[in-house]
Amino acid sequence: METGEKQIQLQILTATATTTTSATTAPALLTTDHLELGAEHTLPLPKFSTVTGFHAGYFRISLSLCGLALLWKTLSAPSTDPLALRPIIHVLPSVAFVLLWSLALASLVVLSLLYVARCLFRFRSVRAEFDHHVGMNYLFAPWISWLLLLQSTPFLHPKTKCYHLLWWVFSLPILVLDVKIYGRWITQGKFLSMVANPTSQISMIGNLVGARAAAEMGQRESAVCMFSVGIAHYLVLFVTLYQRFLGNDSLPAMLRPVFFLFFAAPSMASLAWHSISSNFDTPCKMLFFLSLFLFASLVSRPALFKRSMRKFSVSWWAYSFPLTILALAATEYAQEVKGLTSNVLMLVLSMLSVIVTLVLMAFTAIRSNDLLPHDDPFAINRTP
Amino acid sequence: MVENKEFQASAMQGFQEELPSLLTAVQSKVDGFDTIPSPRPENTTFIGLEIKDIESQINVIDIPSPDSPVQVIKSHHAHSLSISMPSSPSGLYIEQDQGDLISQRSVANGTNGQPNLPINFKVVNFEQPKQGIFHSQPMPLRNSHAKATPDQQRMLRSSRLRDKRYDSFKTWSGKLERQISNLRGKSQETEEIIAAEAPEPEPLPPVDRYFDALAGPELETLRESEQLVLPEDKKWPFLLRFPISSFAVRREYYHPIRVNFFFAPWIACLFLALGVPPSVAVNLHGALWYVLMTPILCLELKIYGQWMSGGQRRLSKVANPSNHLSIVGNFVGALLGASMGLKEGPIFFFAIGLAHYSVLFVTLYQRLPTNETLPKELHPVFFLFVAAPSVACMAWAKITGEFGYGSRISYFIALFLYVSLAVRINFFRGFRFSLAWWAYTFPMTGASIATIRYASEVDNPFTQSLSVALSGISTITVTGLLLSTVIHAFVLHDLFPNDISIAITERRTKSNNNYAHVRTASSDAKDIETCLSKQDTEEALNKMFVK
Repeated sequence: METGEKQIQLQILTATATTTTSATTAPALLTTDHLELGAEHTLPLPKFSTVTGFHAGYFRISLSLCGLALLWKTLSAPSTDPLALRPIIHVLPSVAFVLLWSLALASLVVLSLLYVARCLFRFRSVRAEFDHHVGMNYLFAPWISWLLLLQSTPFLHPKTKCYHLLWWVFSLPILVLDVKIYGRWITQGKFLSMVANPTSQISMIGNLVGARAAAEMGQRESAVCMFSVGIAHYLVLFVTLYQRFLGNDSLPAMLRPVFFLFFAAPSMASLAWHSISSNFDTPCKMLFFLSLFLFASLVSRPALFKRSMRKFSVSWWAYSFPLTILALAATEYAQEVKGLTSNVLMLVLSMLSVIVTLVLMAFTAIRSNDLLPHDDPFAINRTP
Repeated sequence: MVENKEFQASAMQGFQEELPSLLTAVQSKVDGFDTIPSPRPENTTFIGLEIKDIESQINVIDIPSPDSPVQVIKSHHAHSLSISMPSSPSGLYIEQDQGDLISQRSVANGTNGQPNLPINFKVVNFEQPKQGIFHSQPMPLRNSHAKATPDQQRMLRSSRLRDKRYDSFKTWSGKLERQISNLRGKSQETEEIIAAEAPEPEPLPPVDRYFDALAGPELETLRESEQLVLPEDKKWPFLLRFPISSFAVRREYYHPIRVNFFFAPWIACLFLALGVPPSVAVNLHGALWYVLMTPILCLELKIYGQWMSGGQRRLSKVANPSNHLSIVGNFVGALLGASMGLKEGPIFFFAIGLAHYSVLFVTLYQRLPTNETLPKELHPVFFLFVAAPSVACMAWAKITGEFGYGSRISYFIALFLYVSLAVRINFFRGFRFSLAWWAYTFPMTGASIATIRYASEVDNPFTQSLSVALSGISTITVTGLLLSTVIHAFVLHDLFPNDISIAITERRTKSNNNYAHVRTASSDAKDIETCLSKQDTEEALNKMFVK
């Protein structure tokens, strides 16, 4: 059943790709003119100009799938703990893991191509996205996905040259974006107190993922460098987000699922520090516990997410990735603290993330129409 | 309008003889539009304080013609207003019943979209020209219920047992007392009457109202333009004066400062467990720690979640030094757990406490412009700044097993904050003694304990003398406070003033602003007379009609 769904997913994605690639030519001019009139409201676009409505938020899909691949790989790695309940994972064939990884790769490739098309033909939209306080954070998402995919690859060892090269290729854009976005926080008009919202944590997650990959490669210094950048800005952002200077204005209700990023960042920090210090010591535990607490805090507030759950949209995919990262951190924790509670926690969280991802895939397959962009969410920011 | 008619009709029926003259005059006007208001002969006296009660009654009764109340008021202008308490307990309750009816109607009116009505029960004390009786008239028996006139006497007897105004504060709206009185063998009809006129539960004010209505560093004083749901001049039932009482828990939970004190009992239990003398118990069972920490965890999930996601209760609005109480619980729990030998649990709570403490620390230092509760001058609650780092220091030392750099850093932070607050001793003077003074003791003792621990690590005369000095100071403070508390509680009887913070209204009354100057004027009768003029009344009435 799983493979069947993956096939459906692949079909949908390929269908989307074919329609968009054929559609970017003729009607594109019309829509460009339309938009250049300086419309002040979001315009409903015809269905074929998907690439105009396509934005980086769609990379949530690839984030989730790549994260799931990494989780699978970590779970199926040999463990020294005889009490580990990992043998359950061994029951499933390793072919399934390769399939999952291929699906993640395929989705990422398709989404990347779409975004490249958008950059080529709708550069103005990309610029508008870069200026938007939510959109600019999702520009990290493709690079994070590529890095996660790299870490979970079944056929490339971390110490090879190819791995090194790919790491540099994927981390450099993250660093460039860091410099640009963090610099804007302190210098230009986009002050942090005005633009801070939960999606800003994606930039820190990017740094931490890069740090973890670097630590796995053996390059400690670059790992610690990226880690410190991520943690320092995370501290500032954590305080700012808790203060909620702006109240509820900064995030529309449809994007409430991104609140799950609150516990994705400390989990990722825990994993990164674990890779750097090569054992799950007290700071790692403290970060993991913090993310566990934030997870419990969010899960016990279902009313917060009610409005966003009315209609299926791509923001629902924001639920899956943080759960996967939390499950990963729980796995590492269980490896360190061998005991029944930690193993049960690991299992529960892993199952939860798998289930959520599967449900989201099913929803995507069934309600794919809801998923496709119907309007350009960043048209409102375009200057006439 | 229909409601007002009903009210008129009910008031008519309900009162036997002593209808407030004001109401009579008005309602007869309203009912028939053709009867001339006649001041009724009465022995009635009202007990009240301020002119805005007239205004409240005017608001309640939608008067078509502005003349009649003015006339009525004018006819009583010449007479002094007295402020007096009813001499008999029955009078007290009955007068409150009267007010209760007004409250019911006004609540009903309010919910029907009429202008916001003050729910207050101060009724102007009018003396009748004929009698010349002034003070403390026993309130005549009167049934405030609308429908059953013949049952007034029965109603009266049962209502004497309880004051319905406080019902909305009761956990089951007085049903428990009805049950009890039922068990005592009251008649069934009485039961129905009581059930029929059960007051609507007082709606809980949103957080904004707490900031609008209250002032002061602990949001403990009522702003002048505000009114209370409960009578200001009466002494409320003890449980409503006792903070974090079982009857007003919900309102305290929504109070932005009081909610932090919900942690206090659990923290006290944790300290008791920490300090248990060896003769009582040597090794406490680990399960005790889980039992004590579960409520703290649940409270935290709720309160920190509100910081993160709440619109009204977000941290930039509500941050104040009392929030430290919600953080310190984590550290105390970590300390206890580590002393018991637990490993993961203490680290869990330490991590949560540390993360949220850093947020709170930065926010309080920022003193954001959106923050309304930080006072200009210091207050005992500021000493809580010292509590968190000192306990964190102890907890980290216990978790890691040694007094390492982390513990030392937090100890020095605690010491610095202590010194910087203590040298501002001038700002701590001039406070009336209150329970808030106990906020001094916990941080002081925490700092002393940390100093003792530090002195055992770094052993030199300075640290030893410091530990002795701090311990001495905290012991003296605690003893002194204990004595003062005992004296104030049992000798002076003023330890628990009316807890106004829980009794603010849900909505601000719009016509308050007109009479703000009246309120700020002294409660002297003459001032009130001069302030109230015909123009003011007409202006208020016109504004009402415009709405």
